[in-house]
Amino acid sequence: MAGREAVRKTVQQVRPILSIDRDEARKRVLNLYKAWYRQIPYIVMDYDIPMSVEQCREKLREEFMKHSNVSDIRVIDMLVIKGQMELKESVEIWKQKGHIMRYWKETVEPKPTDFLSKFLNNQN
Amino acid sequence: MFRVPLAKAISLGSPKRVANIAVRASASAASTPAKAPERIEVFVDDIPVQVLPGTTVLQAAAMVGVEIPRFCYHERLAVAGNCRMCLVEVEKSPKPVAACAMPVMKGWRIKTNSDLTKKAREGVMEFLLMNHPLDCPICDQGGECDLQDQAMAFGSDRSRFTDINFTGKRAVEDKDIGPLVKTIMTRCIHCTRCIRFASEIAGVDDLGTTGRGNDMQVGTYVEKLFLTELSGNVIDLCPVGALTNKPYSFVARPWEIRKIDSIDVMDAIGSNIIVSTRTGEVLRILPRENEEVNEEWLADKGRFACDGLKRQRLIAPMLRTPSGELQAVEWESTLIAVAKAVRKAPKGSVVAIAGSMADVEAMVATKDLLNRIGSEIVCTEQSLPTQGSGSDLRSNYLLNSSIQALEEADVVLLVGTNPRYEAPLLNTRLRKSYVHNELELALIGPKVDLSYKYQHLGDGAELINQISTGTHPFAQKLKNAKKPAIILGSEMLARPDGAGILATLQSFANKISKPEWNAFNVLHQNASQVGALDVGYRPGVETALKAQPKVVFLLGADAGIVTREKLPKDCFVVYIGHHGDAGATIADAVLPGAAYTEKQATYVNTEGRSQQTLCAVNPPGLAREDWKIIRALSEVVGEPLPYDTLDELRERVEDIAPHLVQHGKLETNSFATLAEQLAKDKKIDNSKITVRQQTLKDYFMTDPISRASPTMAKCIAAVKKQEAKAH
Repeated sequence: MAGREAVRKTVQQVRPILSIDRDEARKRVLNLYKAWYRQIPYIVMDYDIPMSVEQCREKLREEFMKHSNVSDIRVIDMLVIKGQMELKESVEIWKQKGHIMRYWKETVEPKPTDFLSKFLNNQN
Repeated sequence: MFRVPLAKAISLGSPKRVANIAVRASASAASTPAKAPERIEVFVDDIPVQVLPGTTVLQAAAMVGVEIPRFCYHERLAVAGNCRMCLVEVEKSPKPVAACAMPVMKGWRIKTNSDLTKKAREGVMEFLLMNHPLDCPICDQGGECDLQDQAMAFGSDRSRFTDINFTGKRAVEDKDIGPLVKTIMTRCIHCTRCIRFASEIAGVDDLGTTGRGNDMQVGTYVEKLFLTELSGNVIDLCPVGALTNKPYSFVARPWEIRKIDSIDVMDAIGSNIIVSTRTGEVLRILPRENEEVNEEWLADKGRFACDGLKRQRLIAPMLRTPSGELQAVEWESTLIAVAKAVRKAPKGSVVAIAGSMADVEAMVATKDLLNRIGSEIVCTEQSLPTQGSGSDLRSNYLLNSSIQALEEADVVLLVGTNPRYEAPLLNTRLRKSYVHNELELALIGPKVDLSYKYQHLGDGAELINQISTGTHPFAQKLKNAKKPAIILGSEMLARPDGAGILATLQSFANKISKPEWNAFNVLHQNASQVGALDVGYRPGVETALKAQPKVVFLLGADAGIVTREKLPKDCFVVYIGHHGDAGATIADAVLPGAAYTEKQATYVNTEGRSQQTLCAVNPPGLAREDWKIIRALSEVVGEPLPYDTLDELRERVEDIAPHLVQHGKLETNSFATLAEQLAKDKKIDNSKITVRQQTLKDYFMTDPISRASPTMAKCIAAVKKQEAKAH
């Protein structure tokens, strides 16, 4: 009994990364989103990418919505931290044009999934 | 040159001995003695071990896991005792004893690591290296050389050999013994393993020694070629680089090649092999030990025909143009063209014919596809009578006694077969039994050289009737035998009176069969045949040709049995296979498949043992695994088969016949007596019995791979040259 109690305590009280509750995590996400949103015109200009600001904002929304199903606060925090890092890299021009364009995955060919296309491409 | 091998000389009775590398239960000594002889105790490095009287020091040491170094000793050959490397000290013996030849005495204390033993080994090593060239960097045996390894492990670090007179080491002229084995006789250390192999196992007394002492030479006495179907095995036996693989010479080092376990498909024995590959090429093939199938030998075709895998290959799908030429195209258009023809064909007019190297998976996929589009006719090139029970009962078409058990047979009748070339490793079993077990053999068929003596009854088919009615004197011998066996060649079954021969011999075999011993055996030549019959293919192409097919699938059918003339004019021929041979030349569409080294596939050998090959290299060019071609085609046709992976396909194979996925196991079969009741037609016409492979030159090229192999072509040329010489 005592053991189960201890387990529950640990499960309930994991050490938070940044946020203590959902609201705080949500706030961090929105802040990151806004920061990116405001930075996008400068990114388009600085990196001289062949994309419009609207397209970039669409991509930004898509990248955030990719993680819409995440509910663990610690995971959300970690994603926010990584998003922050990406943003910093973009702001400081540590990235190059190709790194920005990589968000659109223009050159990546999707792997075949059905038997016939796998057969024709000689992929197992 | 013949000596009685160790296992025979010392009657090691109990078959339940400690299994060991150096000690194997020999079938020749299988007769269990009435009373188990008392075991005697000896001590190997102070470890007590109980052994049967007559065990040699080397075997006793092997039982406790002490490996004594040796060069001349080989567990499957007679004991020679001439290399002296296995000298060990025995307490209270004045001098060291040769462990391979000396039977142990009660209470002996054998010291395999004492100073005296070490000194003896160092001495032997010094003498051997005195006359052995130091050409390891350019020697093909380098890295897998017994002398190299043992010089490192047991030799001294210095030698007293200083060439003060600059006379050089002993040098011996190289011999030309054929296109397969390269000789560098200066490297020879006179272990005589090759000589013993030739005379005991291969049954060709060609090799021998001339001279004495330092002038001793291993050779063929007169200048001639060492031509047998088993010659490659002397390469494996040679502990040094004196005999090496000629096509493989200077090709690769053993540490840079990848080794993949596989199965040989050149004959129906299913020898276990190791495929050595590097840079996506098959470089050589070595035998893999399997006591139940090939022991540790491999026939030359299986070993040397691998260079045929690089030539005459189909590397792109092809379609025949209106002008009559085959043109390489993309997979998509080929599949669409084939699918169109299949869809256009009326129900029941699509047939498939499996050749000699088709694997079980491809055959099952083909059969499933054909059944889905409403056709039932799938058959094999090699025929078998379908009257009576035909291929419905497994015992009708298997080597029922099993390869290993045939060693125990005491009277064998061969009918219309030449096992020496149709199944060389079955012939070594028969020869072993002939040498050690006083096996009595008789042959109905052409008089051929089987490498052992046999009674030639004649080549008339009426002899079969005489045997079965008991009027022939040999019939009596078969009846009185403890373990009689009748081996029927697969070519006999393709005769018009094949059904009669099969039925007659089967009913006679049932009369002489014992409980737990089925005397009736069929010896196949095609690796695919038993697998095909197991999954429900019909033997023989007659039904397929009679159906007036609109589309014919040839699954590697290259024997030339199906020709354009026999097919209707508007018939669309699809060839699925790996070599541009007879099948591909008549095809309208060629779908390049994988050879046996390029796919994971199941083959069933003539005794009904299913075994699998593993993928050693990728199929060349655009070639694909055979079953995948069928699967892809099925989707284009619109009847997709319900399996996407090999595992799923194997599940389907298991539904058909569970034994096919239990690789390596031999499934017993019954219903032998039932088959006789079902067989009605026992008529045999009195024509002559003949076989295709009669002499060595018929042996080398029998299938698309060996026909494409330049080494095999050289072999045939060498045999013809030898014949032309005529001493």
